Amino acid sequence: MKHLAVLAGLTLSALAMPDTTISVWGAHLDPDNIAGTLAVAQAFENRHLGVHVRMLGLGTGHMNPQKLLTAIVGGEPPDVVVQARFNISDWASRGAFVSMDAFLVRDRGRADSPRRLDYYQTAWDEAIYGGKLYGIPTEADDRALYWNRTVFRENKNALITAGLDWQRPPRTWSEILRYSEVLTIKGRRAGFIPNFGNAWLYLYAFQNNAEFLSPDGKTCTLATPAAAAALKFMKQGYDILGGYAAANAFQSGFQGGENDPFVLGQVAMKVDGDWSLAGIARYSPDLDFGVAPPPVPDDRYNRVGRFANEPDRFVTWTGGFCYAMPRGCPHEDLAWDFIKFATSLEGRMVENRARASADHAKGRMYLPRIQAMKAANEALLRLYRPADLRFAEGLNVHTDLMERSRVRPPTVVGQLLWDEHARATEQALLGKLNPMEALREGQVTVQRELDTLASKSRYPLVSVNLALSAGCAVFAALLVAAWLSWRRAKLSRMARIQARWGYLCISPWVAGFLIFTVGPMLTSLFLCFTDYDVLSPPKWIGMRNFADMLGPDRANVLKAFTNAAYLAGVGVPLGIVSGLAVALLLNTGVRGMRFYRALFYLPAIVPVAASAVFWIWLLNPDPKQGLINGIWHAGIGKWMALPDPGWLTAEAWAKPALILMGVWGAGSGMILWLAGLKGVPTSLNEAAELDGASPVKSFWSVTLPMLSPILFFNIVMGFIGAMQEFDRIYIMAGDNSNGPSDSLLVPAKYLFTNAFGYFKMGYASALAWSIFAVILAITLVQFRLAPRWVHDEGGR
Amino acid sequence: MTANLLYVLGTLAAWVGVSFLIRALFVKASRGVSAGIGGLLLLFAAATPALGGGVGIPLLWVLMPFAAWGTVSCAVMAVIRLLQPLTDGSKPRLLAAAIWLGIAVLFAFAYHLDPDNKVEVLRGRITLSLVGALSLVGFLVAALCLIAAVGKVGSRLAIHAGLLAGTVVFGLPFAWLLITSFKEDRDMASANGLVWIPKVQRVVPFNDPDNPLLEGTYKGEWVQATLEGRNSDGSYFVEVQRPSSLRGVSFSAPPAAFQVVPKSAPIVEGQGFTGFVTRELDDGRRLVRFLTPSGLKGQSKTFLASDLNPVRDVGLRIQNYSDALEAMPPEAHRGLVYLKNTLTLVVLSVIGTLLSSSLVAYGFARLRFPGDSLLFKILLSTMMLPGVVTLMPQFLLFRWLGWIDTLYPLWVPAFFAGAFNVFLLRQFFSQIPTELEDAGKIDGAGVLGTFWRIMLPQVKPALAVVAIWTFMGAWNNFMGPLIYVNTPENMPLSYALQLFQAEQGGQPAMMMAFATLTILPVLAVFFFAQRYFIEGVTLSGLGGR
Repeated sequence: MKHLAVLAGLTLSALAMPDTTISVWGAHLDPDNIAGTLAVAQAFENRHLGVHVRMLGLGTGHMNPQKLLTAIVGGEPPDVVVQARFNISDWASRGAFVSMDAFLVRDRGRADSPRRLDYYQTAWDEAIYGGKLYGIPTEADDRALYWNRTVFRENKNALITAGLDWQRPPRTWSEILRYSEVLTIKGRRAGFIPNFGNAWLYLYAFQNNAEFLSPDGKTCTLATPAAAAALKFMKQGYDILGGYAAANAFQSGFQGGENDPFVLGQVAMKVDGDWSLAGIARYSPDLDFGVAPPPVPDDRYNRVGRFANEPDRFVTWTGGFCYAMPRGCPHEDLAWDFIKFATSLEGRMVENRARASADHAKGRMYLPRIQAMKAANEALLRLYRPADLRFAEGLNVHTDLMERSRVRPPTVVGQLLWDEHARATEQALLGKLNPMEALREGQVTVQRELDTLASKSRYPLVSVNLALSAGCAVFAALLVAAWLSWRRAKLSRMARIQARWGYLCISPWVAGFLIFTVGPMLTSLFLCFTDYDVLSPPKWIGMRNFADMLGPDRANVLKAFTNAAYLAGVGVPLGIVSGLAVALLLNTGVRGMRFYRALFYLPAIVPVAASAVFWIWLLNPDPKQGLINGIWHAGIGKWMALPDPGWLTAEAWAKPALILMGVWGAGSGMILWLAGLKGVPTSLNEAAELDGASPVKSFWSVTLPMLSPILFFNIVMGFIGAMQEFDRIYIMAGDNSNGPSDSLLVPAKYLFTNAFGYFKMGYASALAWSIFAVILAITLVQFRLAPRWVHDEGGR
Repeated sequence: MTANLLYVLGTLAAWVGVSFLIRALFVKASRGVSAGIGGLLLLFAAATPALGGGVGIPLLWVLMPFAAWGTVSCAVMAVIRLLQPLTDGSKPRLLAAAIWLGIAVLFAFAYHLDPDNKVEVLRGRITLSLVGALSLVGFLVAALCLIAAVGKVGSRLAIHAGLLAGTVVFGLPFAWLLITSFKEDRDMASANGLVWIPKVQRVVPFNDPDNPLLEGTYKGEWVQATLEGRNSDGSYFVEVQRPSSLRGVSFSAPPAAFQVVPKSAPIVEGQGFTGFVTRELDDGRRLVRFLTPSGLKGQSKTFLASDLNPVRDVGLRIQNYSDALEAMPPEAHRGLVYLKNTLTLVVLSVIGTLLSSSLVAYGFARLRFPGDSLLFKILLSTMMLPGVVTLMPQFLLFRWLGWIDTLYPLWVPAFFAGAFNVFLLRQFFSQIPTELEDAGKIDGAGVLGTFWRIMLPQVKPALAVVAIWTFMGAWNNFMGPLIYVNTPENMPLSYALQLFQAEQGGQPAMMMAFATLTILPVLAVFFFAQRYFIEGVTLSGLGGR
């Protein structure tokens, strides 16, 4: 009987969904998580015969947003995406996600339907935008204070002298500052670095009851006394360490894994997420540490003043992931079934069991991550409660804090608010602005974007058809003109035949020119004056894109062009000099010239993606791992007592790193110089030497002028290339990063982010044309200057 | 105080000594004296007692912000101007000095404006460890050799030395790439700095009866799995360990579907014994079965991990390569799909470019038609157009065509002739004497026949250059796939490598293995067609002159 039922079930499900594949993007496929992810997929497949679940990472963790948007816009979206909850509203506001309300209504009352009351409210509500639910939460994370008991014990006497209890962690802001003062030894140990680990201004501001956005989401309230007080607290924390810059310099020597600064006691206290427990368990299970709620403002702890009626003594900040469904999702019902299963208690347990057994197979202790579903947390804690009290206690603290957690406000401008809050924090900590001023600057930027979005409906839609027909009309007119001139031209029969063949021969280019150049150029010119996100029709906004570029967004645009100018201004001459030097050596007719030439040219033929990937490794700032710093550390750095360069991780070194890599790949320039040198008649140099000129002098006055056309070519092409630099920077800085302090923000990358990251096609087009204008201007200037120094051989 | 004074004296001696040595290298007059003085001064510098201990040549180094450098160099210029001999009247000289001084003051003011500016004096020391001393001696010997071999031999040697140094600089990154791709994880960093010689763990095959390693297939894929339990119907319940892209998948299958394979058990040594690890216990200890001493052989005991040292031999961990291939998504079929996509892209792009560009170039070079010069000028001007301007509209176009997540957007445009290639080929077509064409016409060949049979063979070298150029461009293309391709089935190597880096960046050995695999085909093509590569650069740079 049972068999029959199973059989019936099988046939039914097979009938219902014959061999379908649902794809999940953003799946966590890194070595630590892959087992859990695949286990969930497989468990779902077992329940739905004929369904295949494809898990794709596409940049694990924070999936590349550009990828997802292009797919949605291109009509090839996945069925399900794993998405950080705080981004949900950004996506939902653009209509990129499907609301789950309809499914919830349909499934109301069914046992497998997700219910808000099963989850921590904050985690669930973070996925709500405009009153609609867009994602079902999976995991959560929250932040707690980690303190190194060994450091506390070793400084027992000093702490007691300062009137502090060495056996417990600080509980208030003023306390942690006092602990930090005692425990800090400048250059060797930091008592507490406010923004080391994972705290940001958000956590401290939440603790002080600051809200960054008005309840209706239309007003940005970044600059409030509460937030400014939180920022001031952070500043005080840094002042104890000798200032923000000094703390950062100290931090730049930090490493991960078994050399984690907290583990080594270089940082006595940190605020960090629950993931750090797993790190400690793996790399230094013997560490004597404690986990406690993060210290709060004194008034909150003592429940006085504003906080007199506050129910929560401690407050933390939570985030995490959820499953969502993109617009145009091909198999909505199946996707919903998958989301229901993956977020259910059962799904969560399947995932964690698989992870646990994978960890056990590697000989590691398994520490479950905090879940957004309360029941899942309880079950996991029952199952995987560590025997070691320190870890068990840590998990408990993190779990208990979830009930008292806050989330970032769901808003359209989530990413911008984040960026601006980070910028304001940096400005204030560096002492460039006082906390209130810095926050106000950020608030103005965010508010402007909010206002722009609110006023969007004011602008008129433009009809794409009208623009298209205008383009077609122009094209038709051109055709008619061409036809008329053809008719009027007096050609012999032979000439006519030849001309016909001529047009036929060049037709591929003409077609390509019209389709891939003229059409797109006109379109892009048209887009410059519109606001267009591809998902909805364009709106005519006139010069606004250009006004934005010169106004509110000036800092970014300027930064991008300055960075490109730096890369070009230093990189191009350096590449030219090194290429010419090698070519001069090779041109002396030494034996093995062909071998050397091939070898020096080799770096230039390595695919950019590959060389970028392995240069990331070469430029690793840790002298024990990175080749360059390894050599530097043992040689020049040691002799000159210079610190190791931070390369891609330090603002000042990021661009030099790219330039260094560029010099390595300057082989094609060398080949060009060699060819040019072959063209310099030896008789000229010999004549010069007969006149008593030294070789150096004859190089300057004979060889170099003869080479000036090539020099000119190299400079022009070098500048054009540098202004469009993209691939290397995209790979080396990372999808979502512009390098430390935007040091690798370049025009092409900024354009790409705007076009395919934010889908501001109009603004990106305006950027594209300004890049074009800059390139054109530079090239024209160079051509203007050329006659003054480029040696023109016989007026060619 | 005296220590500081000595340090300064030593530094001074070192710098002056080096200057004398350099003078000896470049100035013929009294070469021996210079070299002697230089050597003595360096010796003196080395003999000064070190501040930090050890013997070495002291070095003083000044770190200055840009403004400070400006101040100093302008001040120096002013002084030089003042000290110049009075040949052409003193007025312009004083004026120049005053101007330099003015600029120096401006710089000083700029320096003063930014409170972060500070001049740092750094004290370093070229330590004379064995290696340091040897290299210094080597340097001196080389310098002496150069001095001795006056004239041609000397400059030859110098050139070769320079080229060899260049070889090291240019080749070292490649060497490091290769070495890293063969390293074990524990060799990625060591307390003693960089690891140059990779070592591999010595292992023994071990059949674990308690926890056997099984080999079988899962959905057509070869897998290695561990036995997790037995079902009531006698079938095995197993969990996949390899390939890593399926790690964590568990499934059931009858015992006959599996084959027991030996595990590779790492050999370790401890106080007076060697053995191999048969199991990692949950509490972090390890169960070791003894190999030596012979009295204990075959017995087992548990040890703390810290009491055991791995036995490792110099060797290459080739497994990194298979690990990298295994870590790719199953749809990629161990990277073969990526390779196939890249090859498709390359082949179609090359064919398209060759056909279209040569035809168009022929039209422009050999056929007269109204508007030809105007059209050619337009073609030339499009070479200036940066790609970013047409990027987004092209995306909209391909989206309209439904070509997202396909390879079409990446190769179809190649069939519409690129401006640069047309320009290059046109130069070549123009140089062919008209007699050849006329001969073809007499034979009765049409325009296309002439083009295909007579003209095209004449420009073969240029075609090769265009082909190579297109090949490189297609193989390298990164932004295109980044925008248009979403799924592993359609991904070419370049983008797959970037994604791999984003997902597995923490595993340098695998990364380097994948990077090496991506580079190898290009290197192979380069070695077979080196001439065309080099011609290609030359032609492109010299604009076909």
